[in-house]
Amino acid sequence: MPQSPVDGAPDETLAARAAAGEDPAFEELLARYEGRAYRLAVRLTGSPADAQDVVQEAFLSAYRGLAAFRGEAGFSTWLFRIVTNAALMQRRGRKRRPTLSLDDGLPRFDGDGRHAAEPADLEAALRVEERLDREALAAAAQRAVDALPEPYRAAFVLRDLEEMETSEVAALLGIGTAAVRQRVHRARLLLRGYLGSLVGVET
Amino acid sequence: MSAALACADGVGLLMEYLEDVVDAGTRAGIDAHLAECPRCVAFVRSYRATPGIFRRATAVAVPATLGASLRAYLARNR
Repeated sequence: MPQSPVDGAPDETLAARAAAGEDPAFEELLARYEGRAYRLAVRLTGSPADAQDVVQEAFLSAYRGLAAFRGEAGFSTWLFRIVTNAALMQRRGRKRRPTLSLDDGLPRFDGDGRHAAEPADLEAALRVEERLDREALAAAAQRAVDALPEPYRAAFVLRDLEEMETSEVAALLGIGTAAVRQRVHRARLLLRGYLGSLVGVET
Repeated sequence: MSAALACADGVGLLMEYLEDVVDAGTRAGIDAHLAECPRCVAFVRSYRATPGIFRRATAVAVPATLGASLRAYLARNR
């Protein structure tokens, strides 16, 4: 019996057809998501070489696990959860020491809870793209993301770098939306302060 | 929400505020604070810009060889 076309079919339909042994359906899912999965893996691991391994392992796990995919969370959420978990495992295996402390980046307040810094300094992060060349900023940004404590890092990468909705990040990480916001907020505070420090301002 | 909201209180609520998941009274309190606090206005501008700066700085180019090596790996292992 001829197989029906795969382009335009919803992910979940393709996943069911791939689970039933239709290779073109799995190929279509691969084509749809390999690029995003790779970008996510690079940002989570900080290493293109590690990301390639992560993506290979993740798609193999997805292929083997298709029969168990029930479609509750949507295929992409399910797949990106596999990628995220594989990337975090890869990182733990490396046991790298952070090369940077971000704790100085938290905002400072006086005894009454008012910002200690002046407005011009509080906006210092906005000047970083004009003051640093692209390569220097790219290297500094990746180091900073790498230095984020892990719970904050995964939430920040998914929410702010991959631009997923807070609710999708929550489903993917298996935590509530309030916890996602708390983690992303903490990461933003640390990274915002770090950007200021790159142009010589502590706020 | 009282007008006595401090910068530190607003910073603590900032992501909820920006995602519009605070109650109306809290929102009004933060709006009122922002209307008279140039430091918080500056802080919010830099906070909102931070994700985009990092997104641009960590942009990832997908290697042209990814698809072929991924398919070869899957063909060997599945």
